[in-house]
Amino acid sequence: MAGLATTFGSGAMTNSIEEIGRADVILVIGSNTTEAHPQVARRIFSALDRGSRLIVIDPRRTALARRADIHLQHRPGTDIPLLNCLMRLILDDNLHDDVFIEHRTENFNELRDMLYRLDPTEKAAVANVPPAQLKKAAELYGRANKAVICYCLGITQHICGTDNVQTIANLAMLTGNVEKEDTGVDPLRGQNNVQGACDMGALPGVFPGYQAVSNEAVRAEFSGAWGRDLPAEPGLTILDMTHGGGKTVKGMFIMGENPLLSDPTLEKVRNTLENLEFLAVSDIFPTETAELAHVVFPAASFAEKTGTFTNSERRVQMVRRAIEPIGECRTDSDIICALARRLGYEMNYESSAEIMEEIALLTPVYGGMYHDRLESSWGLQWPCFNRSHPGTVFLHKYNFARGRGCFVPAAHQMPGEQPDEEYPFLLMTGRVYHHYHTGAMTRAGNILNRESPEALLEINPVDAESLTLASGEMLNLATRRGTIKIRALISEQVAPGMLYTSFHFTEAPINLLTNAASDPKAKCPEYKICAAQLEKIN
Amino acid sequence: MTMYLPQMAKIVKIIRENPQIKTFVLEFRDKEYNKSFSYEPGQFMMVSVPHCGEAPISFSSSSTRPGTIELSVRLAGKLTGAMHRLQPGAMVGLRGPYGIPFNMKELADQNLLFVAGGIGLAPLRGVINYCLDKGGYGRITLLYGSRSPDDIAFKTDIDLWRKNGVDCRLSVDTATEGWDGQVGVVTTLLSGLEIERPRSSLVCGPPIMIRFLLPELSRMGFRDREIITTMERHMKCGIGVCGHCHLDNRLVCVDGPVFDLAQLKELAVEELGELT
Amino acid sequence: MKGLILKKDNLVPLLRKIRKGGKLVAPVQNRHGDTLFEVIDDLDRQQLDLEHQAQSSLKPFFFPQNDPLATYNCAEDYSFEPVVSAEPTVYFGLRSCDLTAVLYMDVIFSQNGADTLYFARRKEAILISLGCNQPFAHCFCNNTGSGPFLEYGFDLQFTDLGDSFYVEADRARGEELLERWSYFFTPADEDDRKKQYQAVLEARSNFRRTVHVDPAVKRLAADPDLQPVWRELSDRCQDCGGCAYICPTCTCFTIVDQPLAETHGIRLRQWDSCTFSGFTRMAGGHNPVNHAEQAIRRRFLHKLKIDVEKHGRPSCVGCGRCVDICFGGVDMIRFIAMVNDLKLPAEEK
Repeated sequence: MAGLATTFGSGAMTNSIEEIGRADVILVIGSNTTEAHPQVARRIFSALDRGSRLIVIDPRRTALARRADIHLQHRPGTDIPLLNCLMRLILDDNLHDDVFIEHRTENFNELRDMLYRLDPTEKAAVANVPPAQLKKAAELYGRANKAVICYCLGITQHICGTDNVQTIANLAMLTGNVEKEDTGVDPLRGQNNVQGACDMGALPGVFPGYQAVSNEAVRAEFSGAWGRDLPAEPGLTILDMTHGGGKTVKGMFIMGENPLLSDPTLEKVRNTLENLEFLAVSDIFPTETAELAHVVFPAASFAEKTGTFTNSERRVQMVRRAIEPIGECRTDSDIICALARRLGYEMNYESSAEIMEEIALLTPVYGGMYHDRLESSWGLQWPCFNRSHPGTVFLHKYNFARGRGCFVPAAHQMPGEQPDEEYPFLLMTGRVYHHYHTGAMTRAGNILNRESPEALLEINPVDAESLTLASGEMLNLATRRGTIKIRALISEQVAPGMLYTSFHFTEAPINLLTNAASDPKAKCPEYKICAAQLEKIN
Repeated sequence: MTMYLPQMAKIVKIIRENPQIKTFVLEFRDKEYNKSFSYEPGQFMMVSVPHCGEAPISFSSSSTRPGTIELSVRLAGKLTGAMHRLQPGAMVGLRGPYGIPFNMKELADQNLLFVAGGIGLAPLRGVINYCLDKGGYGRITLLYGSRSPDDIAFKTDIDLWRKNGVDCRLSVDTATEGWDGQVGVVTTLLSGLEIERPRSSLVCGPPIMIRFLLPELSRMGFRDREIITTMERHMKCGIGVCGHCHLDNRLVCVDGPVFDLAQLKELAVEELGELT
Repeated sequence: MKGLILKKDNLVPLLRKIRKGGKLVAPVQNRHGDTLFEVIDDLDRQQLDLEHQAQSSLKPFFFPQNDPLATYNCAEDYSFEPVVSAEPTVYFGLRSCDLTAVLYMDVIFSQNGADTLYFARRKEAILISLGCNQPFAHCFCNNTGSGPFLEYGFDLQFTDLGDSFYVEADRARGEELLERWSYFFTPADEDDRKKQYQAVLEARSNFRRTVHVDPAVKRLAADPDLQPVWRELSDRCQDCGGCAYICPTCTCFTIVDQPLAETHGIRLRQWDSCTFSGFTRMAGGHNPVNHAEQAIRRRFLHKLKIDVEKHGRPSCVGCGRCVDICFGGVDMIRFIAMVNDLKLPAEEK
């Protein structure tokens, strides 16, 4: 988010998903697209069927990597040196786009000077990637007529997440692969409405539409609409709250989130939640977090409510109530309004359409989004400034949102933790296809849970042999923060020295182990890397 | 629906065979049904345990001893775990019998070599008892492999069989204090063994055991039709509809579970490797 | 039975009458533009759609995605109570491929004893199909012997003649229906019969695709071991099971208990798919199918080889729905093309 906002002026996918299928070269980095974003993967497949080329940069040999023309299986946490190296090779081969750089961007000299200072051979060694492969990748991306970069949490969940994103943006701008149709930089958003939640200001420093709380004019407008003075200071980030030990905040209302499985260093989260004076949780199924709550609100599922979801490509789509809420369940807006009224704030909306009208009024990029317009279409892509605005297929057409695109060079940063003698393995975490987040919903589904009934720790055959380990054996997996029991899966998807598992399973709560070191700008924790050790359980 | 409706049966007794295996002695609640119920060696039942769905379990008893049936269950997953927690007096659901049995008529008068590994002895136990009760079969030899001496199941049966003239030879993968028998995989028991024609071998155990055993038996001169095994698959319906137990173009529940090597050679059976 | 003519204006009035005798199911376009088979509650408000291919087949009506087999009680005693429900239903507007699929399901569900639940519904069903003058984008039923028109198997078959339908009956239930509502129909004359024959002929030449099913079936019969094909398609497969769920002839299922409380629950028969790794994984974790390499092998072999051996014809009915639904392009048309493009081992040398 923060990375693209600095370089381009807007922190969302620049393309529509459909455009990815028309690119000539697709570079996928830090995304297991087939498992996490099948709808994007399907466009990649159709692009490949048309003869497009695919570069995958991933420490794991994923299904998508197997289909790639070039797979750079780099060491986790070395995205910046690898991408810088690619850019240097592009410069050396004169494959950069002078005209684009001259007319659409600024601060190129700083990037260029940094690139000329670095030693590509050394960077390739840091990333543990053969230089010849890097050269091939640089040529492929550099020569592409239309290239798209897709990235996901493999880029952002690092201590240097923001710098990673800025480096990706540098690469796209260097070759002029942004601002035009079928070219761009696409952060793939995970949950179906995480884009919508960000758009609506579920971030510490902004009102809906990414309008800063520090901006007095904006604040005045929201104060006017809501009839209350509003704070000018940004709020707390999630880790400031869930790792605050109950001191930063004293009461919490957690909606549709399960931090007691999803946040890093779970011991700290538990300590915080247990020390709260008051905890309310709203969710559709009982969760680990809800077990600690003083009050639980049973929430309605997607099929029981009317409103909108905003997907990865900034598309706002209607969802309509198909069945009445079951039992005592109520919709999220019902719960919030009723709670607000009890707290003495008269919050009354006759329908979710009325809420949408308020959003349109106060959020310029949603200015033309009304239920009646959304009703009769596949939705509208923001920015959509007024009723007659058709929405926006791709961002930054002719001009970046911030005016000129800004090159922000970044240097390699060591991950928060590195393998050492005591903790010799590098543990990565991610998702599996069959489960969503902490499994509150998917683990209740019979077939999904059968397909993926437990957490599996992927380990390279070489390491398995040195530990005399067979697939299916139980292990104690430990980091400096804790130990869990987990079943081994011997797999060539991971390189020697690397381990990989998912965080969906309460029986193997991986976030007991993960590191809370986080990116100083975006505050996103480094879920992707920590140092670990293994021990067979007999 | 009637075809999927289990008959309720009471657990009258539970025998602990080893740390992982229990034998459940069962009696149908419906007295008439219990009396008229019959089955053949090698067949199986679909077993229901509350909230756990169904799983296929082979008979470890023989219909020559009517009144009760016995199912030996190894602790492996959710259903078997729940079943292991049941006490005598508890009810389970049963439907069946299903599957093609061993062809006991064809085996009459033959010398029979039984080779089993672990829980694989359960279905063969039914066959051995059937042969002993009925009579009319040749010499019976049993080779039985276990992981360790503690894992040897059906010890009481083995003692009884020995008394009745069955040549029982045991091996363990790993010996512990006091074990003076064979150490090694079950195939090691084959060396020096001579079984005269007419003869057949009945084989049941984990896929890896069967994979190594089949070529050994062929080397000993057993013809493909003389090597008979049972295949194990995930099953849901037991009646050839649900599709889970596919084995190339067959369904184990209705075309098996008993197959001879001649049949298997016509099929692509991944876990058995290349059968030649 | 000689053909009859039904004026198009009289279709809705006829369906209105038919509906009085039980349920009516027909393809309906909803307000989002999707065409699905629906139970018709209100012929004036639900928009019959005979122009587009229904996105789903009739499978869910005879073999629902979640079909309760029984309720169970395990409070003190343990017992099962069967669940059966079926009511007389007329299915109108299904296409030849969908009808062929129902006839295939009849065979599958009558193996080893007629499936009580399936046949309870099937016996109450009257199937009125509509031949396809103009096949849809991914249709290839002409190559699977399941359309665009059928010669038998339907209760009634309609052929669109422009302002009227040519109606023929193949089974007694169809004839009874024609008799019961005879005043809606007029006998077809020689001209009508010619027009119907012409429509059938033209339909055959209107296919937009040619899918070489027979050569692929022969190739698979000779050598089903197509490792490169299985590998590529397994990599493309994203494990959603959509192909099996949408397929009118995929009938694999699982049986699960769904607890409703400590003391009772429902036993459900639920759609399953051989492309799932859990489909064959046994308790304890052993899986006889190597999922990464062969996830989709079973599906295609079942359709084009095993069912040919067992039932004399492939169980693909050429409806093309798997082409539309698959995220990864792992569909029957691609598979058949890949099989036919493969070099024979002899050619490689």
